[in-house]
Amino acid sequence: MSATEEHAPPRRRPARTSAPPAPPRRPTRDRSGPWPYLLIAPAVLGMLYLLLYPLARAVLISLQDFRLRELISGDAEFVGLANYRALLTDPRFWTVVRRTFLFMAVNVALIMVLALLVALMTERLGRVWRTVVLSSLVLAWAMPVVAATTVFQWLFHSEFGIVNRALTSLGAHSFERYPWFAHGTAAFAILVTLVVWQSVPFAAITLYSALTTVPAELHESARLDGAGAFRILRSVTFPLIRPIVMLVLCLEVIWTFKAFVQIWVMTKGGPGDATTILPIYAVQTALSRQRYDLGSAASMITVVLMSGVLVLYFRQLFRQENES
Amino acid sequence: MSTVRGDSVRAPRGRAPHFRAPRLRRLPLHAGAALTVLVCLFPVYWMITTALKPSRDIQSSDPHLVPHSWTLEHFRTAVNAPGFAQFWRNSLLVTAGAVLLSLLVALAAAYAVARMRWRGRRPFVLAVFIAQMAPWESLIIPVYIIARDTGMLDRLLTLTLVYFMVTLPFTVIVLRGFLATIPPELEEAAQVDGCTRLGAFRRVALPLLAPGLMATSLFGFITAWNEFAYANFLIIKNQDQRTLPVWLSSFQNTFGTDWGATMAASTLFALPALAVFLLLQRHVTSGLATGAVKG
Amino acid sequence: MKFRLLAGASSSLLLLTTLLTACSSGSGSDGSADGSGGASELTVWLMRDSVSAAFQKEFTQAFTRAHPGIDLKIQIQEWDGIGQKVTAALASNDAPDVIEVGNTQVAQYAQSGGLADLTGKKADLGGDTWLKGLAEPGAWEGRQYGIPYYAANRVVVYRKDLFRQAGVDPAAIRTRQQWLAATRKLNKGDQQGIYLTGQTWYALAGFIWDEGGDLAVQEGGKWKGALDTPEALAGMRFYKELQALGKGPKDADEANPPQAEVMAAGKVAQIISVPGGANVIAEHNPRLKDQLGFFPIPGKTAGKPGAVFTGGSDLVIPAASRHQDAAYTFVKELTGDTWQKKLALAMSYVPNKTSLASAVASDPGAAAMAVGAAEGRATPNTPGWAAVEAENPVKDYMTAALTGGDLAQEARKASAEITRAMNSAS
Repeated sequence: MSATEEHAPPRRRPARTSAPPAPPRRPTRDRSGPWPYLLIAPAVLGMLYLLLYPLARAVLISLQDFRLRELISGDAEFVGLANYRALLTDPRFWTVVRRTFLFMAVNVALIMVLALLVALMTERLGRVWRTVVLSSLVLAWAMPVVAATTVFQWLFHSEFGIVNRALTSLGAHSFERYPWFAHGTAAFAILVTLVVWQSVPFAAITLYSALTTVPAELHESARLDGAGAFRILRSVTFPLIRPIVMLVLCLEVIWTFKAFVQIWVMTKGGPGDATTILPIYAVQTALSRQRYDLGSAASMITVVLMSGVLVLYFRQLFRQENES
Repeated sequence: MSTVRGDSVRAPRGRAPHFRAPRLRRLPLHAGAALTVLVCLFPVYWMITTALKPSRDIQSSDPHLVPHSWTLEHFRTAVNAPGFAQFWRNSLLVTAGAVLLSLLVALAAAYAVARMRWRGRRPFVLAVFIAQMAPWESLIIPVYIIARDTGMLDRLLTLTLVYFMVTLPFTVIVLRGFLATIPPELEEAAQVDGCTRLGAFRRVALPLLAPGLMATSLFGFITAWNEFAYANFLIIKNQDQRTLPVWLSSFQNTFGTDWGATMAASTLFALPALAVFLLLQRHVTSGLATGAVKG
Repeated sequence: MKFRLLAGASSSLLLLTTLLTACSSGSGSDGSADGSGGASELTVWLMRDSVSAAFQKEFTQAFTRAHPGIDLKIQIQEWDGIGQKVTAALASNDAPDVIEVGNTQVAQYAQSGGLADLTGKKADLGGDTWLKGLAEPGAWEGRQYGIPYYAANRVVVYRKDLFRQAGVDPAAIRTRQQWLAATRKLNKGDQQGIYLTGQTWYALAGFIWDEGGDLAVQEGGKWKGALDTPEALAGMRFYKELQALGKGPKDADEANPPQAEVMAAGKVAQIISVPGGANVIAEHNPRLKDQLGFFPIPGKTAGKPGAVFTGGSDLVIPAASRHQDAAYTFVKELTGDTWQKKLALAMSYVPNKTSLASAVASDPGAAAMAVGAAEGRATPNTPGWAAVEAENPVKDYMTAALTGGDLAQEARKASAEITRAMNSAS
């Protein structure tokens, strides 16, 4: 064991990181035999039965005329691509798609920047402060979604909200009884704030965890070489944590694309359609209007669109894999 | 030997020179930290104070930062609500079951992906990523149909399996990411020293994975702990099997919601996540990785 | 060392998983135990606050005594997510035996074929004196699926002390114009004449009906939103005038925050609410207990009270229920005269039959409600209406109209939304 630690060459890594992106280390090649397959078997079986099978049923539903009646009676008529055609020719659907992308882009950009700042800051803090910051991040993260959403709704309530009160007392009298949820843009902004507030803790904690795996010696040696703080961040720290940054980015894309509960509880997609993004549209269609077929089709399109965004990530991921 | 390592784990992590900057220069840093804490905690604070305010002060036309009067009445309402203990037990069982199952399954898969070379690895990784994108809101109907046809409605086990599957892809991906940052040379060296492959993994890589394990289990915990739609849809007639999020909605009545009690219940409901974190946070903050690499 | 700790923890947690599996399958089979032999178990879903705990207990005891063969289990359901829950129940193999469903929701479930047809039982249940506002929405294509359970409609709940101080006599308020004048008088200083939120759309529906308009109309077999008719616009204009006489938020509905709590907390002279709201006010502020009065919502002319939306519930029996006969026995008891009278008194409801109206004459809230109930109306009886309520373009329209949007233009937009929602669902 002590041998292990002596063998670990801390000084070898700066050289490697000078040529980003950092390639993952070479997987062991020897005598894998049946082991990898045995190791992934539980995951594969789980995904087959608990995910692929329902997903296949969902695809089937999207190709059928499937409403409450069919859910109860069990048999449904096959209608081919009619549901997809109905969606893709609906101008409202395309507006929703555009809005979803806007929502995703704004949220992800804000989340990544803020989370990286918080993570870098946390790493530089002393033990007490660090624990305090991490604990508050976790508390924010652990706050039940419904409670968090409700509190945000209250804060921005036109009559009883503390935000209007604070703004008014600061002299912004146009905010006296300002009806935030009557205006599409304002409601949209509040939802972005809420989603960012809820998402930053996870991203920041994960990025911080990644930062702690960067050996401090690297910083020291880079500093001795005369590099400034920003330079160190860019050419030493970032390349090392890059895989995890990309991962967090990718997950946040997926999650904000699928943001649902917050919007549903707060605005139900309103006012008008101002905060209706794809998942809201799908659920409105499926569960409230009981057009399970159209809802399923909308979800399938969502998955395809999301994959489109993430293709870039996959390509990079596989480039890494190939280099190894 | 393990004692030696234990010591190095507990030792404070090495500080680069700029960390020893004078107090004044750290001021912006602390201001930033204070701001972060403030922003994070304000809604949480609002939740807790709402739980402690008398009903007439909740959403009053004259909101105050600090409540004028306090009461424990809402907590009493929440704790005395019918089924309180039962629903806690249900939620704990479902959540713990789902998280542990997904940790075990994911750890095996992540190891295979990050450390072994085999045919079909790439499609597997792709499949996991696609699984992460699964539109769970829309899978509720097919899952319901399957559960109905196999007699699995009204059972906590069904919820456990669903939450397991919701968190599994994420857990695999993140653990794989963390494993990728741990140099395989460490394990190889241990194998040279005569450890078996499993032994090398257990003794070298697993402790280094602690932050990853923490992040993923916390994620799984919070996801499963909060889930409402499936819990509401799949537990139909057997009301003893309801979970906390469904129970939370019982403070609504025809004339609105008893927000004091809801916030009190939410506070109680957020506590386990914090407890889990405080229990595990040493693994993150002690800078395990540095300790081991430095030796 | 640390690792061993971790391993120990995970193995003991693994044990827990095994335990969980055992546990849940165990309790699963407990729960679904069909009373093999002995009494058959009858599961009934009632909504939260539909009956008081005391009433539930009294009824259950009496029912069990009268029908020893039926083991009655009443489960109280929450409003949150109830639509999905009922859907899940109707589609399951082992549905609850009786479900309480909002009167406007029956049509969509009936259309799907998930409900037992009770047309043949109508005479047995005394169906010819049922309240129209409950019986009509309970029927679909001429068949009766929903059995009227109870009704409630909105009245004006007012503060007697504030009315006295302002010198306003509530008995003299017979027309809308008198109502506006009185409310203007009450809306002084920090006192609100009326707390009316911007999205109280049931109230708007009443004003529109008074003008002779409607929310949606059927034209050649197709439903069409009708908020942009001159009548509906007049209704909205009156709403706007009234809403301005207080500080109700323009972008929220009456549940957010609960308007009864607002009235309990501040100087609010009136709200539009079902009479039961008064109990909530008194509960939050006991000083107001004897200061609350009721009057029916005034109409356009003194001779005719304002039209109101008849809210309420029907009882339905899912087709998938395994105990159809026992379920019917339950429905017959709870909707029968004896229990209806008790229920109406206990909960301040309108009983399900016009012939029972006298039972609640002694209760001032119920009396005011009964005046309005004569003008009771319902939302369009079609499965499509549930889709409109799910998205609720009416609320958006109201907020837009109150915050300075162009009335005619917003109304056209909302009508188009209603048309789309109603026709895309069915």
